[in-house]
Amino acid sequence: MSNAQRLSNCTEDELTAELLRDGMSSALLVELVSRYQKLVYYHCRNLLVSHDDADDAVQNAFIKIWQNAQQFKGESQLKTWVYRIATNESINLIRKRKPSIDFDEAQPEMAEMISEDLYLSGDDIALKLQKALCFLPFKQKLVFTLRYFEGLSYADIALLTSTSEGALKASYHHAVKKLEIYLNVLR
Amino acid sequence: MDLENEKIGPAFSAPDSYFKDTESRLLQRLGIQKELLENQAAETVETPVTIAAAVTPLDTLGVQKRARKQDPITAKSQGINKEVEAVGSVVIPPLTFTTNENPEWVNFGAISEEVSGNGDQIKVVSYGDLLSNTESNDAGAPSLNQENIAENITSEIAEETVLEAVNLDQPVTTVETPATELTQIETPASELEILAEIPAELSTVEPSVIVHEVPESVGLDELESYISASVQPTSTSLEPLVSSEVEEPVVVDPAKQVESPSPRIAEEKPISLEAPATAFAPIAGRQHESATPGWLGVAAALAAIVAAYFIWTAIQPPKVDTEQVALQQEEATVPEAPLDEQTPIDTIPDGLQLVEPLIMEEMPKYKEPNVYTITDAEEMPAITKRALQDLEDNGLATFDMEDELFEELDFESL
Repeated sequence: MSNAQRLSNCTEDELTAELLRDGMSSALLVELVSRYQKLVYYHCRNLLVSHDDADDAVQNAFIKIWQNAQQFKGESQLKTWVYRIATNESINLIRKRKPSIDFDEAQPEMAEMISEDLYLSGDDIALKLQKALCFLPFKQKLVFTLRYFEGLSYADIALLTSTSEGALKASYHHAVKKLEIYLNVLR
Repeated sequence: MDLENEKIGPAFSAPDSYFKDTESRLLQRLGIQKELLENQAAETVETPVTIAAAVTPLDTLGVQKRARKQDPITAKSQGINKEVEAVGSVVIPPLTFTTNENPEWVNFGAISEEVSGNGDQIKVVSYGDLLSNTESNDAGAPSLNQENIAENITSEIAEETVLEAVNLDQPVTTVETPATELTQIETPASELEILAEIPAELSTVEPSVIVHEVPESVGLDELESYISASVQPTSTSLEPLVSSEVEEPVVVDPAKQVESPSPRIAEEKPISLEAPATAFAPIAGRQHESATPGWLGVAAALAAIVAAYFIWTAIQPPKVDTEQVALQQEEATVPEAPLDEQTPIDTIPDGLQLVEPLIMEEMPKYKEPNVYTITDAEEMPAITKRALQDLEDNGLATFDMEDELFEELDFESL
């Protein structure tokens, strides 16, 4: 059995242990890419809306993972760490595109890009929800995306965003109610 | 709509091909070769198996001595690794080079002079040389090629019938004639004799095919009688041809005959002396005589021009009346129904300013959760934090700790 096959059969905890013990190897990075690439892409796509931006963010995120693997302390799950780096890269990309951005405000201009972009699922309700997300402040959008689409627990999101679970619950609650109003009004 | 209970899927769906492409691009950027990794892993796994399979060690003393002699570095070494020796002897097959090039394309001019300096010993043998060599005995000892050819000829003669053997001998004798022609060109008198001899020899060697010209009116039943009746006149008619052919060079000035470029031309002349009258001759004569009226061609040309004009006009797109089109466009833009009925209700209007007032009207309708903002969470004692946590766990309240959600993220914190 080759090393790549062995890693593909490992659980996430075993991969975490291998990373902490032996550091990042080429085979381990290949395994991380094949395992988390889709998750990272859809997470970045939900935050950035644009396919090209999401593609750039994914590339940058895995390069950061390759370069800064020694800084992983094992205090969180490997998946959470990967999500955090991808989120950070998405924020950096937004700042690069729009330096004067305020993350407490919405970016409604992003809603206009959705219908014309690549790789849409074709579900009308999903598209409306995605457009409605653009009218949320970025913080609420991030919390809602991680909780609703990615299915992360409040504890993981709290680790990821370095905030308390209470704040996350409040933020998520606000986001859900706003989105429901959006969808009811726009239906 | 209740988002908590009604799950809505993601709006994006990228194909697997995109992810494969992204993975390959990423690994390429990082200089990682996925296939190489898999192969390396496989090799490292297989290596111990190969060594363990070896059973009997070989006596490699001689190999070590040879290695020391050949290479000064290995002369000081401890010899060949025993584990490698145990694999066994390796037989390297002789190298063979193949090429797709056509041998006819070999550029002999590209051979250097040092190599081609031995070209005196190389004899370029052509077909004519082979034949002349079999005839002439000028060379003292026959060459190797001549011997081979003689062997081939004798073996072929032995295998074939006597009649074929006679035929084999004939080309050798008949080929003599060009050589003698070359020598006899300067003397035209003797050349005439040779030219007269050639048809006689050829007639004995090659089977003659006589083509009879039979008119269509002759039926199949009458064919034999017609041919037998017509053979005598044709054979007699050929004789004057040959005789005139032979007689004709006698009339020609010998000086002109010598100036001819090659003897082959003189040989071919009798063939084209008298061309048989063809059936096309009278028709060609009639064509000159036929008087087609000139106006007929002019009329045909005019008809062709008119037809081309009609075809061209039929192909052209219909002319567009710009004023009429503009009028039609104006009519099309006039709304037929009131604006209220035309406004789509299931599309999201662009811009936050359109949606925000609606939200503000709807917001008071839902109950605000018990969210309390705590700004001094870091300075809060542990007992207070525990109490707040109990309140949160029981769903009585939610505390927003205001702990700088999007401070610059650093990897150290995880």
